[in-house]
This record gives sequence, structure tokens and C-alpha cells, in this order.
Amino acid sequence: MSAPRGRDAAAFRVGDQLAGQEPWEVFAERIRRFEIHLSGDAVEMTRGPIAIEGYEIRLFRPRDGNLGVGSQASNDFSPEGVRATLEDAGRAARHALFPASRCELPSGRGATGGIVEVLDRGLWEYPMDSLESYVASMRAALDGRPGFALSFGSIRATLVETSICNSYGLRTGYGHTQVELEIGVKASGGPEGPQAGEYWLNDSSRRLRPEELSRKADEWCHFAEDIRRGSPAPTGEMPVILPAAVLAGILPTVCGGRLTGSARLHGIAPVPGTKVAPEMVTVHDDGRLPWAPMSSPVDDEGVPQRRRLLVDHGAVSEVLYDSLHAGSFDVASTGSAFRGVSSGFRTWYRFLQPPGIAPSTIVVSPGGGGSDSELVEQAKEGVWIQEIGWSSPDPVSGAFGGEIRLGYRIRSGKLAEPIRGGTVGGFVFAPADSPSLLNRLQAIGSTSSFVEPVSSPPILVGALPIGGER
Amino acid sequence: MGELSDAEDDLYHAVARLAQRTPFVEVLAEGIHGLSVRYDGRLVSYQSPPRVRGAVFRAWTGAGWTEVSVSGLDAATLRFAESAIERALNHRPAHDAPPGLSSTTRLDEVTPMTKPIQDLGEEELLPLARDVHSWVDGAPDIHETEVQVSWREDDRLYLNSVAARCSQSICRVRGIVVPVAMEHGRAESDRYIVGGVGGREILDGLRPEGVRKAADTARAMLHAKSPPSGRANVLLSPSVTGYFAHESFGHGAEADQFVRGRSYLQPLLGSVVGPEILTIVDNGAYAGAWSQIFCDDEGFPAQRTVLVDHGRFTGALHDRATAAALGASPTGNARRSDVFSRSFVRMTNTYVEPGESSFEELVREARDGVILESGVGGIEDPQGGQVQVKARMGHRIENGKVTDLVGSMALSGNVLDFLRSIRGISGPPDFELDTGSCGKGRTDLLPNSAGGPYLLSAAVVGQA
Repeated sequence: MSAPRGRDAAAFRVGDQLAGQEPWEVFAERIRRFEIHLSGDAVEMTRGPIAIEGYEIRLFRPRDGNLGVGSQASNDFSPEGVRATLEDAGRAARHALFPASRCELPSGRGATGGIVEVLDRGLWEYPMDSLESYVASMRAALDGRPGFALSFGSIRATLVETSICNSYGLRTGYGHTQVELEIGVKASGGPEGPQAGEYWLNDSSRRLRPEELSRKADEWCHFAEDIRRGSPAPTGEMPVILPAAVLAGILPTVCGGRLTGSARLHGIAPVPGTKVAPEMVTVHDDGRLPWAPMSSPVDDEGVPQRRRLLVDHGAVSEVLYDSLHAGSFDVASTGSAFRGVSSGFRTWYRFLQPPGIAPSTIVVSPGGGGSDSELVEQAKEGVWIQEIGWSSPDPVSGAFGGEIRLGYRIRSGKLAEPIRGGTVGGFVFAPADSPSLLNRLQAIGSTSSFVEPVSSPPILVGALPIGGER
Repeated sequence: MGELSDAEDDLYHAVARLAQRTPFVEVLAEGIHGLSVRYDGRLVSYQSPPRVRGAVFRAWTGAGWTEVSVSGLDAATLRFAESAIERALNHRPAHDAPPGLSSTTRLDEVTPMTKPIQDLGEEELLPLARDVHSWVDGAPDIHETEVQVSWREDDRLYLNSVAARCSQSICRVRGIVVPVAMEHGRAESDRYIVGGVGGREILDGLRPEGVRKAADTARAMLHAKSPPSGRANVLLSPSVTGYFAHESFGHGAEADQFVRGRSYLQPLLGSVVGPEILTIVDNGAYAGAWSQIFCDDEGFPAQRTVLVDHGRFTGALHDRATAAALGASPTGNARRSDVFSRSFVRMTNTYVEPGESSFEELVREARDGVILESGVGGIEDPQGGQVQVKARMGHRIENGKVTDLVGSMALSGNVLDFLRSIRGISGPPDFELDTGSCGKGRTDLLPNSAGGPYLLSAAVVGQA
């Protein structure tokens, strides 16, 4: 299996059968997936290869100054299968209506978008061996830690050849790897203490990094133990610090819901120049961050990915477009067309769904808030939220929040005892006279960390409502 | 079952050949079709389920399970899957049978429909969506309304090496209306959803009054007050009751969590955990409910499993492996999102059975507190026994009366504390089941339903 080249690429084989159907686009994937599932630290099941090869045809038909856009996915590459898929897409295009007079798809042979690190070569060549070795390293990293154990685990590696072509002459493709790690690390309660606590990790990456496991295991065990001994949260409005781990569950959905051409089309996007945050806030969407799961040389329409400035010193700068929505506003695509992304979930086989607009990696620029401990010192009395159960942001209203799975009291400017349970939430955006995460922002830390799909320092919000027992 | 019948012989022979190499092998094949339309007054888009068929083979290696999935049912593709399984078996030759019962069920079921939906194409779906959209016409402050109408037929064929053959075709039909209200840059929405397993008759349930009520709610939400923070009496609406049942006793009673030693509920099996009025059920055989199935993906018939019987924790949900490990019987809860995803113990339709109180009695009983309405989701904590559920909106209860509308909020609490605090459950007229989905892990989403009537208890709530 190698990166797609020449006539062999799945999309090109289909595209070669679409003469006379212009304009059209074909997105295809050839996927091999391997999985190891653990119950405790014992192997429960191995899976693979899970072999999928499929494509989607998208057609664009002008109708009364608008476009009829129709798409259909299939895994049947035979001439009859392609013809049937084409007929389905054509029927949908005849009845559909999108308010744009044109859709400027990218053109040009070999438009690769340059090199972005998205392929783990060792994993690509030896997938199951690599996974088995990683599981062995993970077990070793957790060995010799009395009171801590894996309660379950799944590691899944997906190897994909993506290929894209269209009737404007684009023929491009790239190979990429994706690793999803889901584990539970349990800290056991002793006879004198409360019941066991479990730290539940969901992580996504482009590569396996066994050399990081020892450091990560320290962190997992630390969090599991703090969850075990966490006490109830306080009640009231108070200063709250949110690190990248929490922002990762909030910002992509809200930015994806409001700072896009789709939101603009529906009249809910802020106009560029609108002040939505204090001067200290600058936010990018970076599609080329090395090894980030949403990075790629090109988006799912073949437009080269780039770094986009979403919020510049508190004011909306740019919103995200795919080619279709760009056509509605006579602007260029920002390379933000992605398939299989919805409400914070991402599927590992993308050809089944037509593209929508989504951010890649949201990057919050470091501020002058200093180190984590300096930020805590500024909060004085409040809460550091390490993990929210499910923050389920509402892309329309911008509301977010949920249960505090792990947090820490801040007392006299220092991190104190762990807390667990209770709620935290609010609005991300709000009119200037209403409280929100952004208009109550007091400081942004100076050191970023990456928690897929966000790179951000911790932020200090002057006051957010906490619902607790006390 | 026309969707898969052409491949059945090849699947059968592949299983038969592999059965010579292992004590047990099974295959699940899948094919889907359907149509969905979205209409918002300007934009019209159609989406058909992909023309993708596939199969997953699972074989016992003697020490564990190995699986191979392929996206295709042609002879060459199935031969590829068979060879991959053979290689795994060569690596680990199997002699002993896998633990637990193997299904010997033979079943052939198709969703019953009063009005067949398969002929509902692009020409018919759009006028229906336009009609529904027109019911919002003239509603003040409604910025936009999106209507989505869809049907999707999921055909699955299960065969194994001990002669089970289960063929089922499940048709899920749903209409969703989302009015968005907007004022001074603030946007709020509500949802009106009608859905279930059946035919076109389900869409007859879409009513103008339901659509207008959602529009009124979206508009009112623009001026909703902040919800209370801290411990309060909480009256859960049917959808929020459902999320509570799903996240607490649903996920907590999935027996794979018992086997992994990560369910706070396991030591409580057989104990009283709530009041006499509380009964929680998972019922995959619930006719017409969104998550109805005829059999699970290991070939065991769907069934009604009582998880909590009048306050006593009586049952768990099993697949063959957990049933074998815990000395129980499979409950028809082994499910795959699709043939490319693994099988887990999963819920189907999980709900609290109705009690005897009226809504008004529960409001009076609460005296002061908050009603959580329009559930949007939740998350479980099988190890820690905590639960989170989230509601899009609610109302305050003051002096035994329903007062101000409040905005979105979350409920957080210890499940057992919550159960001990239950003071009433409303009667059958309030009972509802939703049309949702559930994940186990990051990607394994499948159709799921939760519900119940109104339920009064106490918990921590706060803006979220």
C-alpha cells in the first residue's frame, strides 16, 4: 500500500468514466484499519484488516441562477456500479438547490499542497506489529504502579490513501495515518478510602509515540487518583481556568458553527471586524500543523490547506469556506472542506459523506498570563477545570458546559484539592452586554499545549457559574 | 432481503470452508438504502445512504476472537476476507470452542409498514418537507427553519457455523424540524422530532401544532433566564428521564463493564437501589421504537430485559462473551454500528416505566426546583457511578407552580443518591421515547432510543 499515484488511484479510475458529466468531482479512499481491544490489560480481540475502498461522485448542475448539487457514495468500481452511482447523484442534483451560481473547484494536475507530516512510515509498513509493540510499551509503562491498572483499552490504526479528482483537471492524493487511543486507567480505592476512580482518555494522533508513554502514564495515574479522591465542587460564580483539554471540546464546534460560510449563508455568522473578544485574543485555524489529525496537504475538495486567521486581537477576521459556500459569496475557498466531521465527531471513513465546512486545528495564540502557576495566582479563589464530562456545545446558541469530571480548587492563588462532580458552563459568544466565556476573559497563559484538535494555553475566565453541592 | 440475497450462497460457503479450520465462525453482511431531504426555505439537499455493502467475519482462534471486514460482497472480496481469517487461524490454530452459547436462531423479519416508504423518492419527499416548513410561516422572530425528512432501510444477514441464519430489514423513518430564532445577535433553536421503525405512516405524525410549539419555544429562549446553580429538586421531562436511564442504568448495566471490573453497579445486582415505583427496562423488541431490532449481531433475538424491577437491580445486558463470563444468558444486546465496527454490548430502547402521579402533582410535590426539558445528551461514568445529562431548556418551580423559562443546563450527580431521592413518576399519558444515537467510544454510533415519563428527584444542576 502506498500513496496514490497514476491511474491506479481509486478516484482517478472513477473519474475516467465521467466524461460528458461536467462539472463533477470524485473523492475516494482506500483504507486498511487494524485494532487491538483490551479488557483489563489482556487482549480481548484483534481486528484487521478492515478493508474498505470507496468513492463519492458529486455533480453540480446550474438551475435558474442556482446550483443543483447531488452526490452519491459507493464501493462498486465496476462500469455498471459507477453508472448507477452517477445516476443517483444526477437525480439528486436535478432536485437539489444551493444558492450559488457557480462552484469554483480547484484545478491543475499534481496540485499536492506541499508536504505536511501526516504519515507514520513505520505504522504504514507494519501496522499490526506496531500496534502490538505499542500495547506492550503501554503495559510496561503502567507496570510497577501499585493501585493503578488499565481497566480497558482500544487502539485503532487507520491507513488511508485519499485521492481526489475533478472535471477541472485536478488529480491529487496523499497517504496518511490516524491512530485513536481510548483507555481507562483505574486508581483503586483502599479499604479506608472512597471507591475507585477512573481516568478515561480519548486521544487521536497521526502517529504512534511509544517513547512518550512513560511520561503520559504518570499523568494518567495522577488524574485517576485525583478523580478517586475528588470532593464535590463549590457553588457560585467564580474565576475559572480552562486548559486546552477543556477548550478542545468547545472551540471547534462553536467556531465550526459560527465562523463559517455556512453560518454566513444562514445569517448567524458575525461580520468580519465584529468584536467578539478582548484585544488579547487571537485565534488561527491551522490546517498544516505537523502530525495534527485534521492537518493534510489539501482539504477534501483538493484545495491546499493553510493557516487562517479567525480572530485578530478580539475581532473576527476571516470565516471558513469550502468551494460551494465560497461560490455563494464570490470569495475563494479557504481549504476548509472536510467530510465526516459533525458536532465534534469525526468518522474514520470519509467518502460516505459529502463535504461540509469544518476547522482543522484551532490555535489560540499565547498571551501574557504567564505560566500555569502565575495564571492560578491571578485567579486567587476559583476553580481549574481539567475535564468536563461532555461539554456538548450548541453551535447555534454557543452554549457549552457539563459535569466537572476533574477539577481543582484554587485557594489563595494556589492549586488545592481535586474536585469531582457539579457543573460548569455558559456561552462562548454573547452580545457585548451579556456574560460569556470570551467577554469575561481575563488572561491567556503563555505556554500552549496541544490536545487534539486545539492548541492553546490555559485561559482565565473572570467568572463562570459553577453548580455544586456546597 | 433482496439487498443481500445475491451474496448469501457465497457467504454460506465461506463460513462452511472456514468452519473446517475453527470450532466457530460467523459472518454478518449489511446493505443499506434510503433517502433524506433537507429544506430550509431556500436550500434543498438530498442524501442517499451510500451504495456500500460489506461483511465482517469473526472467528474463534482458541485464545480470542479475530475479525476481518470488507466493503463488498462479490466473490473476490469475500475470498480476500476468508484468506485473511485463514492466515490468522494458521498463526493461532484453534481447537476449543469459544466460551458461551452460539446462536442457532433462524429468523427472517422485515419491518411491518402500513404505508410502504420505499417508493418515497425525491419527487415526493420535497413537497412533504415544504408543507412542514410552511407551518412555521408567519411565526414572529423565526430567522430560519430547517426541515429534514428521511428514511433508511438497514438489511443485515447473519450466518454462523452452527446453522444460525438471521435475516432482518429495519426501516427507520424520521422528520426533524429546527426553527432558529434570532434577536440582536443572539440565536436560539428548538427541535420537533417524529420518528420510529415503520413506514410512511410515521411521517403522518408530523403536526403543525408541534412545529409551531418548537418555533414558540425557540423565540422564548431568546429571553430565557439563567437556570439555578447548586442542589435542587429536579423534575425531568420524558426525554431527560430517558437520558438519565440510558446514562446511568443503561451504560452501567452493560455487562462488558462488569467483566472489566469497571461498573459501580456490579456489586449491587439483586439489591434495592431505588423506590418501589422505579422500573427501568431495555427493550430491543419494542415494536416501532427507534432502536427496535429483531435480533442482535450475534444472532440472538431481541428481548425485553428488566434492569431495575420496582426498585431492585435485577438484570444486566449481555452478549455471548459476558453471558459466559458471568453465568448468564445472552440478552440480544450485541450490536455493531456497521460491519466495519466491532460488536459491543449495547443498549436498544431504554426507558423508565410510567408511574401513577400526574405532572401537576409532581410540580406541587417539588414545591421549589427546576424542570429540565428537551434533553440533548449525557455521559456515563460506569466506574465512578456519576452521571451527567443536559437539557436545552427548562422552567423554574416556585411555590408549587411552574414559573420562568430558563436556559440550557446540566444535571450532575451520583446515580444511587439520585435514585434514593426519587419522589414520584408520572403516568402513561406522559410516556415518550426519543430517536437518538449512542456512542461507545469515539466512533461507534448507532441508533438508540431512551425515554420515560416525568420523574421527580433531587440533584446538582447548573448553567451549561
